Amino acid sequence: MRKLRDFVAGDHRYVLLGTSAVALVGMLLSSSPRPAMSFLAQAFTVELVMYYLLVAWLVVSAAALVLKLAHWRSYGTTSPFVRPAARRALRYGSYAVWAIALVLLADRGVMGVASAWQAAAAASARPQDDMLQGILYILQHDHQTFTTGLATTVELAVFGTVFAFFLALLLVFARIQTVDRPDNDFVRFWKRLGCGFAKAYSTVIRGTPMMIQAMIIYPAIFALFRGTGMTTTEINGLWTPFLGGLVTITLNSTAYMMEVLRGGIESVDRGQTEAARSLGLSQWQAMRKVVFPQGIKFAIPGLSNELIINIKDSSVLSVIGTFELAFASTTATGVYYNQLQPSLISAVVYLFLTMVASWLLGKFAKHFDVKPEPVGSTSDKNLVGEE
Amino acid sequence: MAEKNVTTAGAAGAGARFAEPMVRIEGLQKSFGDLEVLRDINLDVMPGQVVTIIGASGSGKSTLLRCINLLETPDAGHVWFHGADLAAEHVDVNRLREKIGMVFQGFNLFNNMNVLDNCTLAPVTLKKMKKAEAEEVAMRHLESVGLADFARADVNNLSGGQKQRVAIARALCMQPDLMLFDEPTSALDPEIVGEVLEVMRRLAAEGMTMVVVTHEMAFAKNVSDEVVFMDKGVIAEKGAPSKIFSAPEHPRTREFLARYLEG
Repeated sequence: MRKLRDFVAGDHRYVLLGTSAVALVGMLLSSSPRPAMSFLAQAFTVELVMYYLLVAWLVVSAAALVLKLAHWRSYGTTSPFVRPAARRALRYGSYAVWAIALVLLADRGVMGVASAWQAAAAASARPQDDMLQGILYILQHDHQTFTTGLATTVELAVFGTVFAFFLALLLVFARIQTVDRPDNDFVRFWKRLGCGFAKAYSTVIRGTPMMIQAMIIYPAIFALFRGTGMTTTEINGLWTPFLGGLVTITLNSTAYMMEVLRGGIESVDRGQTEAARSLGLSQWQAMRKVVFPQGIKFAIPGLSNELIINIKDSSVLSVIGTFELAFASTTATGVYYNQLQPSLISAVVYLFLTMVASWLLGKFAKHFDVKPEPVGSTSDKNLVGEE
Repeated sequence: MAEKNVTTAGAAGAGARFAEPMVRIEGLQKSFGDLEVLRDINLDVMPGQVVTIIGASGSGKSTLLRCINLLETPDAGHVWFHGADLAAEHVDVNRLREKIGMVFQGFNLFNNMNVLDNCTLAPVTLKKMKKAEAEEVAMRHLESVGLADFARADVNNLSGGQKQRVAIARALCMQPDLMLFDEPTSALDPEIVGEVLEVMRRLAAEGMTMVVVTHEMAFAKNVSDEVVFMDKGVIAEKGAPSKIFSAPEHPRTREFLARYLEG
């Protein structure tokens, strides 16, 4: 919030350049067709004045640009545009440009959508020639399809990721076992077996597409139930496509999360283990009390990434009939014989979901003190007095 | 020096002639791949004795030290600790390590714990001490290294010298019979080397048995009972510090010390 206040109240070096872009957008909006509910339709002169104000801003900017090009080195000291009074005036001018652009956006953009919404609601069939009206028509008539799909996608991604995390914890312990001096033959055997299983699991799961995995797991377990003599209806009540999808996504994500955890654990300095062992802690105690708590911290960014991947990758589960967002989109496609518009809707919903998830995970990571540092950058703050 | 001999006379002085060595190393061999790091090492450490191991980098000092608590597994030979052969199958290394404290060059404090928890982890986990009791012991040791005020501090916020003193306190909390120091001051800047050496000097004066790998020649000369000079994986020369530092026999020892005394 404070950042925003400082930004608005400060004089900026690039105010002409940045606001020119805004002014250009405003002019484009003004010259775009007027929607039915446009409120500026009643005040044509006002819009004309606003339009020419934007033009004036562009002219001023162009003048400044020419000056800058002509006096490349001395611009910062000689140009009339950098005098304090001029800079303050330019700042107020930029507010005006923004205000005009926002008014035009409300008139053309917001009112445009509202008009299209009204038109779509009045239509008896999906409008064929207007993209926006077509999408809104689908939303008005099939929003339930999409919300059901959305809920299933969220459930699959969240539960799948959480279950997979716990399974990955188990599996990674098997994976990182190394034979220690005090181990007897029995322990050695189980350690080797566990490690081998984890390696094989990871290779198989990560080496095959999740879509194919779903197409194997769902019918395979179906066949198992069939073996017990149940009827198809009984099995369908028990072994639903949702459950099949959840099992698939969990088993799939487990392999990836195990590798992420292993990477985190292996990046803990060897000295930590040595110090713990030198005090007499066993391999297991050193792992549990010292190495693992540090390793999981390294793994948090990778683990949270899995949730975002699962939100998107759950889309392949539509292949076994799991009613998630992609399936909803396909359903709408079938109803309207149009693939583009339902797909655009689901793309926007997926984008919204992943953005919310990544924002939440960012907060979560901050809670665990994981601070991502910008790569290769020092600071974007100007030196004091720099022009 | 004289003062120290009084305190440890019972252990390392004349009376120790018949005592069993605490650590006996016999015919120790270790290689990493084709590189022979240790060749036929024989060394006894008597209770109460302070042994310093000096030598050039890569001469095998640290590996020898790490073989004593089996952080490195020897290829051949024996390491006896309190009469138990560490190489034997049935010996529980974890139990023996409880009695062997180790201090590392890179401190290796547990980054996920504060100072006090670093010290109490092993006693609580291994000796089944009550947390409060372990904390009391830990506070005593932190006090003795001058860091009682930092008990609740995050280890990542300490200076190098403070970290190393915590590491010493952490090892002492297990009440070890033997302390191994692997270049404890090499990662510190010269100004704070003193604070760590001071703690070690006091520990030696209290009669702790210590094996110290170091480049601090003054410490080797003034504090230790025996100095071992290693060269290319073998013990080139060992003896009382007075002898090693004033009349070294081996030409390599002379060369090595000459370089140190110049600098």
